[in-house]
Amino acid sequence: MSRARGSKALGAFALERLLNAVPLVIGVIVINFLLVSLAPGDPVTALIGEFPAPPEYVERVRAQYGLDRPVPERMVRYLGSVVRGDLGFSFANRQPVLELVLERLGRTLVLMISTVVLATIVGVVLGVWAARRPHSGVDRGATGFALAGYSIPEFWLGQILILVFAVGLGWLPAGGFRSIRADYVGWAAVVDQARHMILPMLALSFRYMAITTRLTRASLLEVMNSDYILASRARGLSERRVLWEHGLRAAALPIITVIGYNFSFIVAGSALVETVFGWPGVGRLMYDSIFTRDYPVLLGILLIVSIAVILVNLLTDVAYALFDPRVRY
Amino acid sequence: MRSFVIVALIALFFAGMASAQAETPTPGGSAIVILGSDPEHLNAAISTGYPIGAVGANLYSALLYLDADGAPHGELAESWTVSDDDLVYTFTLRPANFHDGEPLTSADVVYSMEEVLAPNHGRFLNAYRAVESIEAPDDATVVITLSEPYAPLISLLTVFDAPILPRHVFEGSDPLTNPANQQPIGSGPFRFVEWVRGERVVLERFDDYFLENALLDRLIYRIVPQDVARGVALEVGEADLVWGFYMPTADLDRLDANPDVDVWRGLTIPSLYFVFVNTDTPALSDARVRQALMHAIDREQIVEQAQGGLGEVAAGPFGAGFGYAYDEATDYRTLYPYDPERARELLADAGVGDLSLDFVYDSARGAFAAAAEIMRDNLRQVGITLNVEPVERSVMVERVYGRQYDLSMQSFTSSGDPAIGYHRIYLTAEPGTNFVNATGYGNPEVDALLAEAAGLADQAARAEVYARALEILALDVPTLVMFDELSTQASAANLRGLLTRLDQRDGLEFAWFAQ
Repeated sequence: MSRARGSKALGAFALERLLNAVPLVIGVIVINFLLVSLAPGDPVTALIGEFPAPPEYVERVRAQYGLDRPVPERMVRYLGSVVRGDLGFSFANRQPVLELVLERLGRTLVLMISTVVLATIVGVVLGVWAARRPHSGVDRGATGFALAGYSIPEFWLGQILILVFAVGLGWLPAGGFRSIRADYVGWAAVVDQARHMILPMLALSFRYMAITTRLTRASLLEVMNSDYILASRARGLSERRVLWEHGLRAAALPIITVIGYNFSFIVAGSALVETVFGWPGVGRLMYDSIFTRDYPVLLGILLIVSIAVILVNLLTDVAYALFDPRVRY
Repeated sequence: MRSFVIVALIALFFAGMASAQAETPTPGGSAIVILGSDPEHLNAAISTGYPIGAVGANLYSALLYLDADGAPHGELAESWTVSDDDLVYTFTLRPANFHDGEPLTSADVVYSMEEVLAPNHGRFLNAYRAVESIEAPDDATVVITLSEPYAPLISLLTVFDAPILPRHVFEGSDPLTNPANQQPIGSGPFRFVEWVRGERVVLERFDDYFLENALLDRLIYRIVPQDVARGVALEVGEADLVWGFYMPTADLDRLDANPDVDVWRGLTIPSLYFVFVNTDTPALSDARVRQALMHAIDREQIVEQAQGGLGEVAAGPFGAGFGYAYDEATDYRTLYPYDPERARELLADAGVGDLSLDFVYDSARGAFAAAAEIMRDNLRQVGITLNVEPVERSVMVERVYGRQYDLSMQSFTSSGDPAIGYHRIYLTAEPGTNFVNATGYGNPEVDALLAEAAGLADQAARAEVYARALEILALDVPTLVMFDELSTQASAANLRGLLTRLDQRDGLEFAWFAQ
């Protein structure tokens, strides 16, 4: 009875949050549009290529892509077409933006989701391990690992991983998302793609493993020193039950927050890691689009990423309610 | 002893036979060629981009091709004649088919040139200004009539500047958005199979090619965006060929040491490196100051340290690639040796002291950064402060061609003829057009001489005209000419039959794998 009422309230809350997100998304589009339009560099130059195009030719290309119109007019048009589900046409790729982004979105999502899962599992396990025996060797090791994870940039780590595991040991492929020489099918193709994913996933997740480890350790240490844990122990519960049922559940809230927070940073990190590993995902498309000043593609990716971040935040809030009975909507 | 010699001779004989056998071209296999970025599309007739040209060269065909020494030969054209007044070019076509089975006729050539290339292809457009008409009197004949002689025309009829598109696919559509730009139909030695953006473009042998069929079964262009990852891909066997355009020079020495990789260095398409001088900057409007800069900069050191030795100090405004556009009397290496003392004298003569200059360059060009540091040090010794400003490419283009700079490092190529790529650097131009004269230098005499040279087909006559232009340019120094770049490529040691054409990207139908 009370559970049903709770889930209904949660549904209403989720809907309200989704509606609130609409002006946020419009704001994101407007700000992104202005930022991109005001940045120096002319997309027509990138579009035409390196040759002395006569001014009338340049103007013709400019008009062809509607770039001769004033910025506010272009923005209103863009908003209008986004509402109709049309993200525009890529100057540089001569293809509709939505088609271009969707083709690659799956590959980036696979990389990102496995990164989040790996970082969370490893981070929580290491964090719990460290928190159980503070100041032990395990704890020092985990803290040291966390410090290293914080300080090593993803693109550098990626290159080192390639040098060690692809060039030096020859265990794993150096780049790409599948073998190009052999066309695998069925399970062989799955294994092949998984092998290609290991290094980029490691490069991308190291930092977030570190963040999660540190946070889990700190949060759990605090909880384990609280009175109700002392009470649970006094009631004679096993240390295992105290830790996993009472301790970790209470310590989970900040961890859930940081997973949601990590997600938005992993999007940014994927642009670098995808470039290092030649992973044909959205991150790299974004990176290329910045250099070619391919505004429609850049805006389209920013829009999709913003929506994804908003959704992940919403999921984080819902997860809060599920984990912590004190949270009510 | 005698028997030993005989045994040795027999052994040598078999060894020789074995290696001769290994060197017989064998068909089959897939070669993986590295591209640094995705082509924007695959219509080589509407773009001059490097990756589009790389795929297009083997997918499309053209009237002519340039061999490894730059000499023109017929491709689609079985033969051609030029009228005595150098105005009428008549081409006779071979029978050929497109990849969809339709025959390629003179109507496709006329359509491609007039409707697609002339309005959309930057380099072809320059040649088209001299064209009066392009006609197809019958299915196998194309006649190009010029309004004035234009010597570089022949060099511009290759697959890079004038690929032939199928009229039946393009007619009545906008060539910029035709779906065939993503799924191209050409008439070259390889046909299109698939393109996975960001990953690869796959071509396969076209068995109905009008010349000898390609040897490789497949040609796979793999996209590797990060430059250091390209050499690595070759080392671990994930790729077979990478051109110098995509290779960091610092990686070449490492690849040299790898027995599974062949590294080649040489001169194919001349590529000349300059420092543009903005003559709108008051101090730089004086030719003596520009001469002083030439003396002050140690070009040897730049070639050795910034370019990893892959270059030769340039001999003049058109480099070393074209014998007829070089004159020993105006060789920059003897006219402007590295001489800081002389530079200081020239600056004092011009009454210039305490000069501070902005040096703008494309931040993606690593070698430019190293050159900038050397130049900063060189110029400090003659009392000039260099403010190094690396900017992103599109910003660099705006700054330089909008003439908001003092000095800027640039590189230009001029495939087949100096009139195609180099004349524009010296011809008078208004600010605002990209990739032309950005120095503000203008000399009507030079303009007239270069125009005359472009119209002369006879190389001896051309050399005389160029010598007169070189004499003026050597004193005016509108650009600080630095060095001719050496071309490079690295390939799998068992991949043979490369470098058969002037442009490394062309002619991969001759590539094959030794067993």
